[in-house]
Amino acid sequence: MDAQKKTADKVSLSKLPKMTYKQQKLFWAIIFLLPWVAGIIFLFLVPFFESLRYSFYDLTPQAGEIVKEFVGLENYLYAFNTHVTSTSSFRVELLTTTTDVLINLPVLLIFSLFIAVMLNMKFKGRALVRAIFFVPVILNSAAVVSAVGGGEAINAILEQQGIDRIFDLEFYLLQTGMAPFLITFIVGLIERIYDILALAGVPILLFLASIQSIPKHLYEAAKIEGATSYEMFWLITLPNVTPHIITVTVYALVDTFLTSSVSTIISDELNSQNWGVSSAMAWIYVATIILILIVLGAFAKFFKIGESHYEN
Amino acid sequence: MKTNVIEQLKASYHGVVENIKDPKKNAKRSRKAKEISFTIVRSTLLIGLCFVILFPTIQQILMALRAPSDVNNPAVIWIPEQWSIMNIKIAAIVLDYQKAVVNSFKLSAISMVLQMASTALAGYAFSRLRFKGSNILFILVILTIVIPPQALSLSQYLYFRGLGLIGKEGSIYLMSGLGMGIRSGIFIYIFRSFFRGLPKELEESAMIDGAGVFRTFWSVMLPNARGALVTVGLFAFVWQWNDAYYVKIFEVSTQEFPLLTMRLINAAENMYAALFYTGGLDLIGQDVWANPVFLALISNVSALLMMLPLLIMYLFVQKQFVESIERTGIVG
Repeated sequence: MDAQKKTADKVSLSKLPKMTYKQQKLFWAIIFLLPWVAGIIFLFLVPFFESLRYSFYDLTPQAGEIVKEFVGLENYLYAFNTHVTSTSSFRVELLTTTTDVLINLPVLLIFSLFIAVMLNMKFKGRALVRAIFFVPVILNSAAVVSAVGGGEAINAILEQQGIDRIFDLEFYLLQTGMAPFLITFIVGLIERIYDILALAGVPILLFLASIQSIPKHLYEAAKIEGATSYEMFWLITLPNVTPHIITVTVYALVDTFLTSSVSTIISDELNSQNWGVSSAMAWIYVATIILILIVLGAFAKFFKIGESHYEN
Repeated sequence: MKTNVIEQLKASYHGVVENIKDPKKNAKRSRKAKEISFTIVRSTLLIGLCFVILFPTIQQILMALRAPSDVNNPAVIWIPEQWSIMNIKIAAIVLDYQKAVVNSFKLSAISMVLQMASTALAGYAFSRLRFKGSNILFILVILTIVIPPQALSLSQYLYFRGLGLIGKEGSIYLMSGLGMGIRSGIFIYIFRSFFRGLPKELEESAMIDGAGVFRTFWSVMLPNARGALVTVGLFAFVWQWNDAYYVKIFEVSTQEFPLLTMRLINAAENMYAALFYTGGLDLIGQDVWANPVFLALISNVSALLMMLPLLIMYLFVQKQFVESIERTGIVG
């Protein structure tokens, strides 16, 4: 197989000048894709099916070998029914993550689109603001989060000194006599703004790029017709951005799951050598994501989100 | 005389009324008012958000510069009373900082280059060198984005163990070089959309001038893809730098080859032990290290030390990065 390929390469190399452009393209396409294809076969497809197989086995490491024992759906049942950690369980975490994602996704989409539209406008110091907005993306690291522990140390110090009330928004809002559930919502939103920004970094980038790829003449024509910037947003920007909402949704969905506690539980199981269970959990996780994607896809199709409006 | 004044007043009054009633001027005024109010709203929002982003980092830096004995000093709120780099010194000892930074930098830089190369090639092939079945292969790219690394790690681990790459950086390089590194799927996606957005005329004129496919890619398309290269390069470097997952699974961080993320996680789990074993305790008195808040502070400072090189790097790259957003057109 290898030898064949080599001779084939040699032949095509010697014939290179005579190849048509189309053939040349195919030849280079194969070369360009070679590393990726090798990667996808050895580091993706093989592990992919292996782990599917492992999820039905009980694996125990023994002196440089791994003893496999077929247990059927036991691992899946274990993950759902009996698995517990010190503070939670796989099932609970999976459910909370799923509901969280479903609530957070629309917020994230609207927020990142809004920020992208703002960052796209012309104003003084735009470059600086843009640079600052991607700082959370840079600093978004599991290691840092575990070390900082949600700023507990800083909070402890501030509390000791009694100055943790400086930014106590809840206190001020209560004074205004707002409804309590609204206050908790606002305060919760502000507390999570850093997390939201960290998650929103790449979506903002994607939206910004898609806004910039909208042809400028559309805006010029609209301006001449006397459209306000509000109308221009709803009638030009939004329809042109919708095809990319799907991309952003997929990215955000995968990213939230990847940084969720479900993902941590799976890694913990993996590290404590419960390989069968961790494979089963990983597959439940994949199934959940794909299920959500299918539901969202059906939803998008039903409401015709994400279709280019020019083609209709 | 009297009538004159009244008449004048009347005239000016009429002038004002006319000015107010004039629809053209009114429209202009309202537009201006809207513009100004919008600018105010926008700047408040953006400045507020920027503050929220920068605030924790600034706070951490100021905390780090306090003298260890001032941790609980109620007189010190923001600006330290006694400036000191003792906290930073201790954190640096805990992290084995000099060695770890060099190692982390080397690992991230090499894997960034490898990842850029493999994903740029694949992205170009998927966008410009399309053939029958390339769309089907691209579905696999999407699949690599969706499948979590945990599902694949075990067999990858066994595979690398067979190759004798466990505990060596080579495992990370192999993953990146073969386009299966951290979120390589997204990079391929970015490159594909970017190359697809470049005008066809570029390729055609290069072809007419006698450039082959590779030359077209190397000297025409790639220089035009600087935006995508900067974006992908930055993310590849940062994600590798921050990665604690693959590094842990493949046991890359060892005593001789310490990496920042693993040192930080280990230290954060048990700061007292980390201080004890690295000899950081000798630098300060017992009255200080017996304070749990101090230990938490060192953990904070360590996290800051880990992020610092990234922040400095970002300061240098951010101009190209922000400009690259301008031109990327990442989306297909």
